[in-house]
Amino acid sequence: MKGDKMAADSDEPISDQEKVRIVTNFILHSPPGEFNEVFNDVRVLLNNDSLLKEGASSAFSQYNKDQLTPVKIEGSEHKVLITEHNDLGGGRFFDDRSRQTFRYDHLKKEASDYQSWTPDATVEQWRSAIESELTTYTMDHYKNGVCSVFGKSHQSGSTVMACIEDHQFQPNNYWNGRWRSQWCITLPQGSTPTELRGILKVQVHYYEDGNVQLVSSKDVKENLTSTSPAELAKEFVRQVETAESEYQCAISENYQTMSDTTFKALRRQLPVTRAKIDWNKIVSYSVGKELRSQ
Amino acid sequence: MKVDKMKAQEIQMAWIIWQYSERQHEGRNALEDMHERMILKMFSKWMTDQQMDCALDLMRRLPPQQIEKNLSDLIDLVPSLCEDLLSSVDQPLKIAKDKDMGKDYLLCDYNRDGDSYRSPWSNTYDPPLEDGSMPSERLRKLEIDANHAFDQYREMYFEGGVSSVYLWDLDHGFAGVILIKKAGDGSKKIKGCWDSIHVVEVQEKTSGRSAHYKLTSTAMLWLQTNKPGSGTMNLGGSLTRQVESDASVSEASPHIANIGRMVEEMENKIRNTLNEIYFGKTKDIVNGLRSIQPLANQQQQDALRQDLALAFLRRQAKGDSN
Repeated sequence: MKGDKMAADSDEPISDQEKVRIVTNFILHSPPGEFNEVFNDVRVLLNNDSLLKEGASSAFSQYNKDQLTPVKIEGSEHKVLITEHNDLGGGRFFDDRSRQTFRYDHLKKEASDYQSWTPDATVEQWRSAIESELTTYTMDHYKNGVCSVFGKSHQSGSTVMACIEDHQFQPNNYWNGRWRSQWCITLPQGSTPTELRGILKVQVHYYEDGNVQLVSSKDVKENLTSTSPAELAKEFVRQVETAESEYQCAISENYQTMSDTTFKALRRQLPVTRAKIDWNKIVSYSVGKELRSQ
Repeated sequence: MKVDKMKAQEIQMAWIIWQYSERQHEGRNALEDMHERMILKMFSKWMTDQQMDCALDLMRRLPPQQIEKNLSDLIDLVPSLCEDLLSSVDQPLKIAKDKDMGKDYLLCDYNRDGDSYRSPWSNTYDPPLEDGSMPSERLRKLEIDANHAFDQYREMYFEGGVSSVYLWDLDHGFAGVILIKKAGDGSKKIKGCWDSIHVVEVQEKTSGRSAHYKLTSTAMLWLQTNKPGSGTMNLGGSLTRQVESDASVSEASPHIANIGRMVEEMENKIRNTLNEIYFGKTKDIVNGLRSIQPLANQQQQDALRQDLALAFLRRQAKGDSN
């Protein structure tokens, strides 16, 4: 416990570097929808705005990318996600769908300064086929979901990264939640797509008179057999739907088991007698008390 | 709580501090120095209060699965808040063994003195302390009885686990903490753990025949599993409730019985709320983020349901007018 650590540390205050590490860690662990609140808390606790700005501003951008933050952009009726996969550096991100790049303000959460962009030609036909099918899938399963598909090629081949995000923020009811899917399709040089990898994440925070959080994630790996973009797009979405639904069902099943079995075994609703405790009886059985006559 | 919600007097205070810090140090008299020291002290207290509010807000938002690390980091960041944080932030309870009595007891800030913890069974500190803080003799008798009473309570509701009660004197009464910890057996590949922390404040009326009880209860529930279908799933955290009541104190209704009834009622309520929030609310939120059934189907179903409802209402209205 902290008491033990106190004796060891004596009165040595920690270095600025250590403070920045702690503050950065707090910021990166903000629950979905609560970045501003955590940022304000951290700002008051650190009490050093210039240190905060120079040391922790990378945390703001890291957080937004980790969260697959959706942003509305001009020239497209679809939002785009801020991720590590479409990060161009210098605060700029690209959107293959609308063929644009833009500057993203990580604190204001706004896009600006649009420029034109050409998606990677090598992988574009695979990417756009997948994007089309995945967009339909997203609208079919996520009420306010956003999906973004990015294509990149390198020496050994190409990758298509597909991300889906949906969230519900209800701070007035003291809760927030977010779903994140990241899917990666590998297309080796001169060959058809081989492997599909996915990371699925769910986080829910409930905080009325308390702090309750669900943090869950699952890794998925599947093989792909399609040989054409159109075929791959359909196979991809089939795999995604199966995997995501299986994950969601498994979560529901766990909820059932946790409630029926685990929770019940921790504390009964009532004692075996099916009645509340007779405290006078309990107290009279205590050691050290004189026996009372009934 | 936001920094920009500072009250007008606090803004004024901050401005006065700034003014003073800008001034030259020569030519100041003793009265001005004293005035400045007083203002600096007030400002410092205000700053500490703001920081404490932010620290507690932060602990309500960071994942509870890392409470211990977060608390430790927070204390490193703002060492002046250490004692206040340790006494106001609930942590999962740790177990220690009383080697003399061969019984387990629970650790918390209320039985800690420096780096030692007092066992409720042997009433000694481990590691030993020459001058450790102890309850008075009368209170220690009550503490022994309370431990035995809640030991039985624990057995009846938890059928296992560990409990400990620690009491300390107040000016016109006493206060205490009742701790319970129960770990699940890991069956069905799910690890579960329950921690109860009940802090009670007893204000005895001068007549000695009644008392005012204030109970603040926190229940922590930790569930985690790592099955192939669901990956890692970690559902954890705590809920806190408060209640106050008056009760008569007599041989027939001693303090322990009054406190016991309050704790039992409170814990039963919190148990129900935990059930609703953990397995109802958070589950609903997950299923609101993604729909297993295609949403188009859902919309069709909703439309159909609405049509049926309207048709039914129309038929009822028709029936009424006949």
